[in-house]
Amino acid sequence: MSGFWIVLLSVTAGTVLSSVLACLPGLHVYNIMGALVMGILSLESMGTHVPVDVYLPAMTGMIVGWAMLNTIPAVLLGTPDESAMFTVMPGQKYLMAGRGYEGTMITAVGGLAGAFFIIFVVAPLAPRYLPVSQEVLRGHMHWILWVIITFILMSEWPKGGNRGPAGWAKFFDAWKTLLFGLATFLLAGVLGFILLTRSPVNHEVAFQNIMPAFVGLFAIPWCLLNIISAADVPPQRTTKTLGINGDVILRSVWSGGLGGGLAAYLPIVTGGVGGLLAGHATAQRDERIFIMGQGVSKFVYYVGAFMLLFVPGLNLTRGGGAWMIRAIYTPQGKADYFMILGCIAIAAAISYLMISPLAKLTLRLIDRFNYRHVSSVAMVIIVVMVFGVTGWMGLYIALVGTGIGLIPVLFGSRRLNCLGILLLPIACNMSGFGETITGWLGLT
Amino acid sequence: MKGFSHFMSGVAVASFCPWSIDAALQGNPLFFVLGGACGILPDTLDFKVYRFFYNHDIYITPDPGNPDPQYIADEMARAMDIAVTENRYVKVKLVSIRLGADFWQQYVVNIDNDKKEVSVKFGPVVNTGQVPVDGTENQYPTVARAPMKAKLIQTYDAALKVDIFDGPTIGLAPRKDGDFDLDFLPWHREWSHSLTIGLFLGVLFALLVGIITTIQYGWVSLPPQQEVLTTWAAAKQWLAAFFTHYAIAWQSIVTIAGCYGVHVVEDQLGHMGSNIFYPFTKERTPGLKWMHSGDGIANFLTVWVCCLLIFWNLHRAMPDPTFHFGFVHLMMVGLVIPGAVFAAIRWLLTRGQNVQVEKGDDADDEWNELKASGT
Repeated sequence: MSGFWIVLLSVTAGTVLSSVLACLPGLHVYNIMGALVMGILSLESMGTHVPVDVYLPAMTGMIVGWAMLNTIPAVLLGTPDESAMFTVMPGQKYLMAGRGYEGTMITAVGGLAGAFFIIFVVAPLAPRYLPVSQEVLRGHMHWILWVIITFILMSEWPKGGNRGPAGWAKFFDAWKTLLFGLATFLLAGVLGFILLTRSPVNHEVAFQNIMPAFVGLFAIPWCLLNIISAADVPPQRTTKTLGINGDVILRSVWSGGLGGGLAAYLPIVTGGVGGLLAGHATAQRDERIFIMGQGVSKFVYYVGAFMLLFVPGLNLTRGGGAWMIRAIYTPQGKADYFMILGCIAIAAAISYLMISPLAKLTLRLIDRFNYRHVSSVAMVIIVVMVFGVTGWMGLYIALVGTGIGLIPVLFGSRRLNCLGILLLPIACNMSGFGETITGWLGLT
Repeated sequence: MKGFSHFMSGVAVASFCPWSIDAALQGNPLFFVLGGACGILPDTLDFKVYRFFYNHDIYITPDPGNPDPQYIADEMARAMDIAVTENRYVKVKLVSIRLGADFWQQYVVNIDNDKKEVSVKFGPVVNTGQVPVDGTENQYPTVARAPMKAKLIQTYDAALKVDIFDGPTIGLAPRKDGDFDLDFLPWHREWSHSLTIGLFLGVLFALLVGIITTIQYGWVSLPPQQEVLTTWAAAKQWLAAFFTHYAIAWQSIVTIAGCYGVHVVEDQLGHMGSNIFYPFTKERTPGLKWMHSGDGIANFLTVWVCCLLIFWNLHRAMPDPTFHFGFVHLMMVGLVIPGAVFAAIRWLLTRGQNVQVEKGDDADDEWNELKASGT
């Protein structure tokens, strides 16, 4: 079989597999990729060579398919990962208005627009300009992280203090949510220090180290909220038009591309943070642009970060997918770059075509069963997934994460503060005083 | 301008200070963090601190169980009546109507000077994202009206819309001609948006840093003298030693004052203006009216230009860069060409369409945008 067909079949298989798996709540593509990498390594150790033309396109397809399709659990089942958390609120509004399919498809169009943006805008310019920016910004990433942390903490709006006479009582009522936000950030940060320094998770599943915590911080609280609030989802309708035009797509690409691009390029900055910054920078208030922009942002974040590993002259490792590939393969110049771009294009097309039937299937499920039961099943799947991958210790970490993730839900502070789990320890480490903190915490 | 624009402006100003970059290269992010924090600090002081201590004369608090627009109109008219008849400044708080965990009853207060009346109309129920709930648009079709005793002069076009979280404050200031002025959010930009306050905060921070430096390293020490110096030479030597010893302190003053000040200067480009030299000046100096604080393009351009300036400053500070480029080159590649391409594509996509851009009032935008974006 020629190289072309091997690549085509591999990318198709990877895309279809991850597109289906993306519909399962709580499962992250990096879990599957981690398992695959471990499988490849063990095969290699047994003397069986796995051709790069097989696993590289397959993994590209997996990332692309997942970046596109994970909209389904985020919007329709209310179980987002961190990068999709901003899509949930407006997405669930669409769901509650019987327009869940429309919300999902608008996000998917954003994903497709993100693919066009990566292939036709970023890809030709990246080899020329990104090495320049990398040279200039190297050595400055730590303060960029601190500045982002400062903005996240300073930009939260105090939600209380709206009634009563002026004075300290009103001030404290207002600052309650801000203090809980700060507490969430710090607690998540401490959890991050523990997991990154002395993870209790078995070293054999070290790739999945942070997964249970993320599931606990983001997905489980949302499921619990859906179960407790017991909202009745109205009958869903599908539509043939989405009410969008070229201008809406262009402006979505502008804001989403910026957010996703920032998240892809800057270390530890995730899609949610990128989306927040881009939202503030571009000031887009149109709901369709917001939802579609999140689709663009999510796609550019996951796929763009992966692509950076293959940019000639740059070879930047960003995101879990790139780190895992780096463990088994070193990119070889332009040939790999063009192959990856081709794979992204094919996978984006396949996964976009898959989202409509899969979204309809999920909606049929929601229509048939009580949403509370659907959320309960989603949570059971998440718990089983965590247990299956990381065992009892993973479940314990997820439980701790859930405790922290519930603080914003219960006290009305910003959920993004949960990202302290990565931002705080990594920023401290990059500035050179991470070890001092871990020393204080008794971890080193 | 919006918070993020101010924030990035502060970081950009900090990047112009050579010590910020030197410190950053040694792993110390202090000056850049100070830059961003001080860039947004004037609004933080107003919106997160001062407004909770601001006393009001009249609180208009509609009953969520029985929302009555006539009550709001009557109370507004009463406040205006007090301002005119008692000839004093009256501060009124329009309290929001919370209907549930995520639902708010929106209402709009309008002033009609021709009819000399204040009218109140209930809008839709909105969620915390300020999105109307379907089917609630015409729940209260009645427009409540109440007569005013004098005309109200609005210095800017504030739409008194109340929905999520906190409602706005308005100040009613009697004029000599018998009418009165309306101040929208009188607690905003009252004292916080001042260059002198920025300098004061810089000095305060520097004092703190100075005390810590003294505790940690002791007072300024001079090297042993080999020869007798003149008073002037000795003073110069001592000053040099002082500024070296307390470098972080004086560098903090410059950074904080500069980054805080850029916020004040940027706000001066809008409509509301700032109280620039408080406490030496008592009132806001009206802005240049070049832009509205919520203008998307102006805010994005500010953020993007700041990013490019930061990038330029970091590049300038590199001792031996592999890639060489000039400022104009950077601006062309980073701003002009992408901007022109974006504008051209947008023009092609919207040809023949009537693209309407919503414009709001300076203060109103800032108030609503902050609430909407800070969730």
